[in-house]
Amino acid sequence: MLVLKYEKTGRACFISHIDLLKHTARTIRRAEIPVKFSNGYSPHALLFFSAPLALGVSSKAEYLAIDADMSKDELLARYNASCAEGLKASKVFECEKNPNLQGKIVCCDYVFPTAYRPIDLSNGFEIEYAKKGEIVKEEVSGKIFGAFDVDGKLVLRLATGNTNLRPDRLLPTLNDMFGEDMSTTSIVKVAQYFKQEDGLVEADEYLKILETGV
Amino acid sequence: MQSFDDKLSSILLKVEKPARYVGGEWNTPDMTKERKGDFCFCFPEVYEIGMSNLGVAILYDIINKEPDFVAERCYAPWGDMGEEMKKNSIPLFSLETRKPLKDFTVVGFSVGFELLYTNVLYMFDLAGIPFRAKDRDESYPIILAGGPCSVNPAPFADFFDVIVCGEGEVADLEILKIVADGREKGLSKVEILERIKGVQGAYVPSLHKNGEKVVKAVIPDFENAPYPEHPLVPNIEAVHDRATVELYRGCASGCRFCQAGFWYRPIRERSAERCANLAKEMVKSAGFDEISLCSLSTSDYTGLEELEGELSAFCREKNVNLSLPSLRISSFKPEMAKDVKKNSLTFAPEAGTQRLRDVINKNVSEEEIEKIAVAFEAGYESIKLYFMMGLPTETDEDLDGIVEICKKLKWLYYQKRHKRGLNISVSCAVFIPKPCTPFQWEAQISLEEMHRRQMYLREKLRAVKGVSFSYHGAETSVLEGALARGDDKLSVVIEKAYALGAKFDCWTEHFKWDVWQRAFKECGLDMPDYTGAIDTEKPLPWDFIDTGVNKKYLLAQRALAYSAVTTKNCREGCNGCGANKLGRCTIC
Repeated sequence: MLVLKYEKTGRACFISHIDLLKHTARTIRRAEIPVKFSNGYSPHALLFFSAPLALGVSSKAEYLAIDADMSKDELLARYNASCAEGLKASKVFECEKNPNLQGKIVCCDYVFPTAYRPIDLSNGFEIEYAKKGEIVKEEVSGKIFGAFDVDGKLVLRLATGNTNLRPDRLLPTLNDMFGEDMSTTSIVKVAQYFKQEDGLVEADEYLKILETGV
Repeated sequence: MQSFDDKLSSILLKVEKPARYVGGEWNTPDMTKERKGDFCFCFPEVYEIGMSNLGVAILYDIINKEPDFVAERCYAPWGDMGEEMKKNSIPLFSLETRKPLKDFTVVGFSVGFELLYTNVLYMFDLAGIPFRAKDRDESYPIILAGGPCSVNPAPFADFFDVIVCGEGEVADLEILKIVADGREKGLSKVEILERIKGVQGAYVPSLHKNGEKVVKAVIPDFENAPYPEHPLVPNIEAVHDRATVELYRGCASGCRFCQAGFWYRPIRERSAERCANLAKEMVKSAGFDEISLCSLSTSDYTGLEELEGELSAFCREKNVNLSLPSLRISSFKPEMAKDVKKNSLTFAPEAGTQRLRDVINKNVSEEEIEKIAVAFEAGYESIKLYFMMGLPTETDEDLDGIVEICKKLKWLYYQKRHKRGLNISVSCAVFIPKPCTPFQWEAQISLEEMHRRQMYLREKLRAVKGVSFSYHGAETSVLEGALARGDDKLSVVIEKAYALGAKFDCWTEHFKWDVWQRAFKECGLDMPDYTGAIDTEKPLPWDFIDTGVNKKYLLAQRALAYSAVTTKNCREGCNGCGANKLGRCTIC
């Protein structure tokens, strides 16, 4: 199993997750990557994606597990030569088993285009956002794993997977709090984290451990 | 001030499916090269439908293969996006370089269906382009129309500087070169249009004199004609999202209601070898997982077996599915279905009784319908049947015939498979008399009669288990009928309907019947005047187009229809329609 780390930036951030699945299958076919196919009536390429990214949000850290036997370097070169703008890969990891990206990744870091300031979660944190035309209120303090200062910018670590918190849904509340006008398209995902017994492990690091065994 | 890209980004998240508007598709040609002139292909429907159009893909590819010219694309923004663009003063722009339509050398609309006319105006409106050609000065691009509706351009001729009648493969590029050259030399719009008039197929309404003929454009070498072997890969799932190979143009069947069958003559086939190479190259360059062999009647294609042979190993190795649309019952062979997924089989008997099939020259006999049993043996469990209602001379007995066919198929299925459970879906369109067919003078049945026949058939089919029935909207069929044979008076009606809120008329949820009725009425016109029978002596608005098939032939075909006499398939010998004067029929 090979795991590709790729970006979703520029125009590509407007491509929905469902469309991305098809796009990627086509990229793999164009690149002639010998991916394995499922059995059955409608065989499909065995590709396993990390959790969907909210439409409009960019990312520097998306992951895709590919069931194929080939060298890491060749995969990277071939994939990049055949992939559309905004979806280039930066790294490949090799691991014996499917790392179960969707199941084991529990949170992600997002950079918001605003100066860092601490966020107090001790009294809960209620957000308001529009969902299918209706205003929804939600208590999300349990889904915010932390706020960090990275190069002066605000980075929020938000739950992903089963208890997901979409970063764009925080925007109305944050904009209100900070008196800013940040847009969804200016949020960038920069890291994803696997849950381990002793805490969170950044995805690159985790996949490196799987690859090397240390 | 906000940059254009920022402005666009901020509205993209407010609209449905923003990927429709961002461009950047895989296989996008080089947009940075020096351009002497550029062409924006506009398709008056949403991205998913426009991206499925093979005609536009072919023409786009031809211009982009030229060293000094560039083609870009633009589709009709869905209503939500249109509103946001107006609100934010964003003029309609091309997907590739986000250039406003107004700044192109040439803008070309592909008009494939009568119910798209209001969408053309919608796109003009969003682009800030005056609707009527006479109101546009030199500062605007030369605006063309082309596509299947150029069969009768009268209703929309006032909106365009030029209409390309027939195939655009040669004409579009030639026109782009003339305009670019004319602009460089400082020629006036009229001088440029005069030069365009010399291009085969080009109809210039403002310079057209009474009695002048426009000869339909036909590409001479179909075998080697350029083909988009590196097609754009849609950002979001398109309606036809696959590698499409056009096997041949034209059709040998001569069904008397079928406009495409007459308009695309002469019949020109492409060799199986070239088709196979194109299909393979398209899969390799785009990564599609399906190949579709496309033509007006795929099972009639001479090289079908050879082509399937060439492709089957490739498809197996690459996990690519092969699909064969447009099969005819009479030429179906089980070998054809060998490498095809057996989801559902589609056939079009068009009419329920032998008599009516003879009238329309759909050469499908009862015995041939029985041959569908072969498909049941091959593993098919579901079948789609296409019919038409309201055909000339049709009676309720002919509708009963549709029910009988369904019953017969169920019985055949039981005989072959010893079980019940065949799914039949019957789809019934309403006959629309179309220009350039032997039925161009026929009356369309009235709206009330359409409703009655639809209900009649629905009730009858309800009694047959396992049959689902769907039918076309009667109101849209009346409008399509009126616009199809319309004259130049209708341009005002189209403008009126758009002003009253008609757009996306093809979408049931957007179709506004009351608006169209009002538009006709306010312009002092009557829809039934356009859908009724036309005297064969009367001049027709499309008479000035020389399609190759002469009126005499169409009249003779009409007479044969009324005596229920069929005409043989062109592959069995030439019927002398006259189309080969525009190019050689490759099957005779």
